[in-house]
Amino acid sequence: MSIRDFALESLEQAINRLLDRDPDACRRLARLHGHVIRIDLRGTGLQLHFVPTHDGRLQLLGSIEGEPDCTLSGSPIDLVRAGDKTDGPAQLFAGHVRIDGDSGIAQRFSEALAGIDIDWEEQLSHLTGDIAAHEIGRAARAVQREGERIGRSSRENLSEYLTEEARLLPHRFEVEAFLADVDTLRDDVERVEARIALLEQRRRGDAT
Amino acid sequence: MTDKRHSTHFGFRTVDTGEKAGLVRGVFDSVASRYDVMNDLMSLGVHRLWKRFAIELAGVRPGQRVLDLASGTGDLADRFADLVGPDGLVLMTDINAAMLGVGRDRMVDRGHAGNLAYAQVNAEALPFPDDTFDLVTIAFGLRNVTHKEKALAAMYRALRPGGRALVLEFSKPLNKPLEKLYDLYSFHILPRMGELVAKDAESYRYLAESIRMHPDQETLKGMMEQAGFDRCDVHNMTGGIVAVHRGFKL
Repeated sequence: MSIRDFALESLEQAINRLLDRDPDACRRLARLHGHVIRIDLRGTGLQLHFVPTHDGRLQLLGSIEGEPDCTLSGSPIDLVRAGDKTDGPAQLFAGHVRIDGDSGIAQRFSEALAGIDIDWEEQLSHLTGDIAAHEIGRAARAVQREGERIGRSSRENLSEYLTEEARLLPHRFEVEAFLADVDTLRDDVERVEARIALLEQRRRGDAT
Repeated sequence: MTDKRHSTHFGFRTVDTGEKAGLVRGVFDSVASRYDVMNDLMSLGVHRLWKRFAIELAGVRPGQRVLDLASGTGDLADRFADLVGPDGLVLMTDINAAMLGVGRDRMVDRGHAGNLAYAQVNAEALPFPDDTFDLVTIAFGLRNVTHKEKALAAMYRALRPGGRALVLEFSKPLNKPLEKLYDLYSFHILPRMGELVAKDAESYRYLAESIRMHPDQETLKGMMEQAGFDRCDVHNMTGGIVAVHRGFKL
């Protein structure tokens, strides 16, 4: 038992409240009693199973055993659009929504629900609670990782271009050699300085 | 004095085995009419989620035959009747005539017909041929049964090979703080709610006590295995306050 069960319960209640106000939709759904329609929300890893009841309401299950009579798969947005009377067929023919199994049942199911004014996107957002939210989070983390990778590789590319191709910047080895030379020079200068000081001391000693 | 061999629990009391069924009947006769309201109130509505979870574990398919024991007002039977479809059959049963009457009225009001049948049966002595059902369920009923092992054996016998049994029942909380909170709730708040809503504190005190006397997860799993069930598993819900035990007949 989890947030998922709670979300399924509230989604089921919301749909059935709307169906109660639509006797025509109920009549159409009641004819599908005993069939199982699976909705596969592509990209979320989420599957919903709708079982029309004897009185034309819907029972919603997260998982079933055996195979459903038909499966409608698509991204949540595409599926919501497919329910639209004008836009629906276009979605189907554009290949955004895929039907497997008994397409007659899929069609009757979609038609029965087409008249229902339900805010699917709002309802589905409750379901994003633990499963889809996880997927979305995972996607976000993947984007972040990819961003870091791109950032790192572009930095490498840029420095390679500036040092090797354009030779505007010295290579790391050149810089190290240069710094070593500077150190040697500084030491040499200090030695010369010490020697001059010594010579001056001697000259003053000779003069006295 | 009650003889140890012929005594059983009725809540925290020890009673004669012959007496328990009558006492349990008294409890349910008293609460039948307000059973649904009390369920919602007592579990704060969570019992719907417990049942929903059990229904998914049941894996009912169209055309199957389901035996629901201790159906009460028929929450499971209602859903199963829709899942088995017009070609399946759900048998809704209860040992208590008052409860079954309330459940039957409710199912008729909901328009179920054709694939739902009713029978008053004792879970310990099921009057069905062997290998009859694809699924046998008992939700919040096993703890009221006098001889639980007899009921489990009868469930096993009535199942078809390949079928499964589901026992949804109160169980033992998995951690101490939850257990403390749960005790406070069931022994102090629950009887008071029972008094206010169902006008019957005693029955709800029995409910709390009978839950404490019910075998815990591992014990019940062992009892199911003893009754012959294979591949038994336990699914805890709400921190173990409720558990679904599932076993198969292979």
